[in-house]
Amino acid sequence: MSRPTRIAYGFLAPGLLLFAVYRLYPLLEGLRLSFTNARLGRASEQWIGVANYTRLLADDRFHVSLWNTAFYTVASTLPILAVPLALALALNRGRLRTLLRSVFFFPFTLSVVTVGLAWLWLLDPVVGPFNYYLRSLGVPARSWLADPQTAMWTIILTTVWWVTGYYLVIYLAGLQDIPRDLYEAAALDGASGWRSFWAITLPLLRPVLLFVVVTHVIGSFQLFGQVFVLTGGGPGDATRTVVQHLYETAFQNFFQFGAASAMAWVLFAVILAFSVLQFRLLRGHTEY
Amino acid sequence: MPRGLRSVDRSSVALTVALLALAVLWLSPIAWVVVTSLKPAPDIIRLPPEWIPWPLTGDHYHEVLLGSSRTARIGRAFVNSLVVATGSVLLVLATSAMAAYPLARMRFPGRNLVFALLVGSLMIPNAVLLVPQYVLTQRLGWLSTYQGLIVPEAAMVFAFGVFLLRQFFVTMPRELEDAALIDGAGPWQVFSRIILPLSQPVLAALAIFAFRSAWNDFLWPLIAVNKPEMFPLPVALALLRSAYSAESYGPIMAGAALSALPLLVVFVVANRRIVEGVRLSGLKG
Amino acid sequence: MDTSDHVVDRKRVSRRAFVAGAASVGVAAWARGGAAQPKATFTYWNGLTGADGKVMDELIDRFTRETGIRIEQQRLPWTDLYAKLQVAVPAGEGPDLALIHTVEVPHFASDGVLEAIDDATTTGKGFRGEDYLPATWQGGTFQGKRYSLPLDVPQHIMYVNVKVMKDAGLVGADGRPRVPASRDELVTMAKKITKADTFGFAIGTVNPGRYTWGFHNLLWQNGANIYASDLKRAGVADPAAIEVAEFWEALPAQHKIAPPANTNCRDAFIAGRLGLWIAGSWNFTGLREAKVDFVAVPVPRLFKQPVVWAMPHQYTFPKPKGAADRAKRDAAWAHVRWMTDNVAEWTLKAGQVSASRKAHADPRITGDPVLKALLAQAPNWQVGQPTPKWVAAENVTRPVIEAIYTGQKPAKAAMEDLARQINALPD
Repeated sequence: MSRPTRIAYGFLAPGLLLFAVYRLYPLLEGLRLSFTNARLGRASEQWIGVANYTRLLADDRFHVSLWNTAFYTVASTLPILAVPLALALALNRGRLRTLLRSVFFFPFTLSVVTVGLAWLWLLDPVVGPFNYYLRSLGVPARSWLADPQTAMWTIILTTVWWVTGYYLVIYLAGLQDIPRDLYEAAALDGASGWRSFWAITLPLLRPVLLFVVVTHVIGSFQLFGQVFVLTGGGPGDATRTVVQHLYETAFQNFFQFGAASAMAWVLFAVILAFSVLQFRLLRGHTEY
Repeated sequence: MPRGLRSVDRSSVALTVALLALAVLWLSPIAWVVVTSLKPAPDIIRLPPEWIPWPLTGDHYHEVLLGSSRTARIGRAFVNSLVVATGSVLLVLATSAMAAYPLARMRFPGRNLVFALLVGSLMIPNAVLLVPQYVLTQRLGWLSTYQGLIVPEAAMVFAFGVFLLRQFFVTMPRELEDAALIDGAGPWQVFSRIILPLSQPVLAALAIFAFRSAWNDFLWPLIAVNKPEMFPLPVALALLRSAYSAESYGPIMAGAALSALPLLVVFVVANRRIVEGVRLSGLKG
Repeated sequence: MDTSDHVVDRKRVSRRAFVAGAASVGVAAWARGGAAQPKATFTYWNGLTGADGKVMDELIDRFTRETGIRIEQQRLPWTDLYAKLQVAVPAGEGPDLALIHTVEVPHFASDGVLEAIDDATTTGKGFRGEDYLPATWQGGTFQGKRYSLPLDVPQHIMYVNVKVMKDAGLVGADGRPRVPASRDELVTMAKKITKADTFGFAIGTVNPGRYTWGFHNLLWQNGANIYASDLKRAGVADPAAIEVAEFWEALPAQHKIAPPANTNCRDAFIAGRLGLWIAGSWNFTGLREAKVDFVAVPVPRLFKQPVVWAMPHQYTFPKPKGAADRAKRDAAWAHVRWMTDNVAEWTLKAGQVSASRKAHADPRITGDPVLKALLAQAPNWQVGQPTPKWVAAENVTRPVIEAIYTGQKPAKAAMEDLARQINALPD
């Protein structure tokens, strides 16, 4: 090995060690575990082929979890795309941009547990303020988190509240990168605000939108914290997610590591498929 | 056109007012947390909801930090989170910077492969690594220890850190480096004396990102820590309000408010850095 | 004869002897004191997250003051406590002493998480079966070996909010609230109470929709159970169980007397938004602290028998990795002994009837109306079935009964599905 190469790998060594031990090895080991009947406390594990995977085909609760997670991801994509964008556009046109940006960003600095606890309290069916105000407005109060029809949407609401600030900052940066003269030219040509938006803003924001969607998809499929705090997967299994099912299989009920690893890899495959799909849909074929 | 300008002004003012109203509404969940944490217990469940607590009480904070109640060990959890987050930040900064430098500035066989591997790993969801990471940590004897939290948390942010820093290093002008190399400086000196000091903005942004990631992580500490006195804040808080738990809301909200404090401080102090960091992470993505 | 020399010698000898004697006495005293000085500290886990947790804290502080033994107590909600014990003990990270529920003993014992307690030690430390209520003493054994010692009997009781009953006009001539004696009476009364944001009836502390302990209580009242009597086949799809499930379903939907599935019933009761509340005995001291005007009456007979759900707490010694630390083990035993001797305090302050019979005669206990009511329920107590799969079955039951409560699944179909799930539980 030549000296420059040795130097380069010398610099890389600590990070690569960390990466290899705690990212690469677990990735491959997880795949291997998924083909075994590994269980906590069981000294030796045996190779059982695809048995874990085929069992998933019959696991109703896994299907429900997968469906719930996919529903959450898809249903939340539009609000996650649109709300921060709308805010960014509004902030750009109004005053006090920095202050407002900070306010909307602040929830993002909270942990998922704090977010969950805050909303849990807010939405308490009997003594929470949200329902109280609704009742005083004449709207019948609901148990937002215990009603199977509204539970998942409520979780989406708390997520939107939590992450909007983050995507807002990204959109603001993206908007600032769009040259002003494009808008001025369009205005001179008689284009209205809406037209400029569709013809200029959106297309030029495409890479940002793509980033938002892909980031969001990867995160959404791993939904766990909000559900753990807000509903515990309930009512019934209405908000049960894949990661929660994985967590319970591996660390709460049965401590079955092999089965849980199979679940994890199925999740990985689904996320990859979704991401590729999003990429294809949003990448477009023309560049400016 | 004066009239035109005035009407534009009016609409932007109106918009700002509307946004301010929305902002107040936006902060109301957090306000409610803080308000509840300062209310005496009987007032907490009283309706109509009181947004200004009177009388105020520090009881919940006292119980959570200093009280003898063994459920709400938030004080200890706070310290745990601090240790883990700080350790993780230091580890991430060290490893990411050292790895990003050769990837940005040197030519060597395998460079593209390594970089592609790291970037590709950004797509790996953490949930996929959960179980094997747990088994590994158990075998290392690192369950319920600080290192068992610091090292995996750092590993989660490492690839992103390399990505971010490499982008930055690549855009740095070469003149200073070249001058130093001509003067006979070794690569380590170039790295530590020139590159690092000039990278403070992006290092700060990365540090904040890594701090937030480690401070707020929930799922990994939930399974990797079996000794309640080693729980970091999110886990301690979540278990305060778990199934069949009957802990009352006052201490829970006090704990939640406390958990938000460090990042609030960081946020107020380093607002611009955070925004820079978010920008950098988003636009080059 | 030089007597003076002798005298001097004797004096010197006796002085030496005196000094030696004094020194040896001093050393002995110091040694005894020294041996007593470094008291052990041991770790203790429990799940007492309610009001009774604070009482446990007080008693532990008193124990430390009296004996010098320090306890590192950790508290987790029960489901998380069990999960953590399962994982921590084999890894050598478990506590020295753990308070668990009787129903947990079979599965932890069979998984090797608990260390067996031999009879010689039990009797040696002064614990005798005759002192205890039979259900609690028996509950500490599994396959002929003893694994735990009982502390108390948490059980259900019905709390009645006097103000809510008054507002609904459900008080007798003496001003005392009327108490339902049957299912139909309960429903009728609850319907009178329910309006806007006030509800007539609930079972459970928080999340009544998935309160399995309450569901078990109702099952047992109807002669049904999770497992059939052979403890192998699931019994939840039997007609008696389905009848209970249908009642569970009707509570919020058809009768409309019960609050939403994730209501904090305790807060609702304290806030005067709940009239009749079946919940654990561990709640009542908290209710007194909150100065709620309430009475506690026996759990009414809603089905065939007036069964009262009971879940005794048991002290257990998790199996250490390697040999047990003698000092810590002895310290833990000392605490169990002390708690047993002082269990009347626990009963009075935390509202949990003791497993030990000796405390039942304490006039402070018989003089308290709520404690008296709790004791009176003793003939009707029933506990969970002694199968290692009990807790796993409970974990899968939880979302199913919640689905029934929230109307997501019809009762019969849900219970049949639950039976399938329970039958499919791995051993």
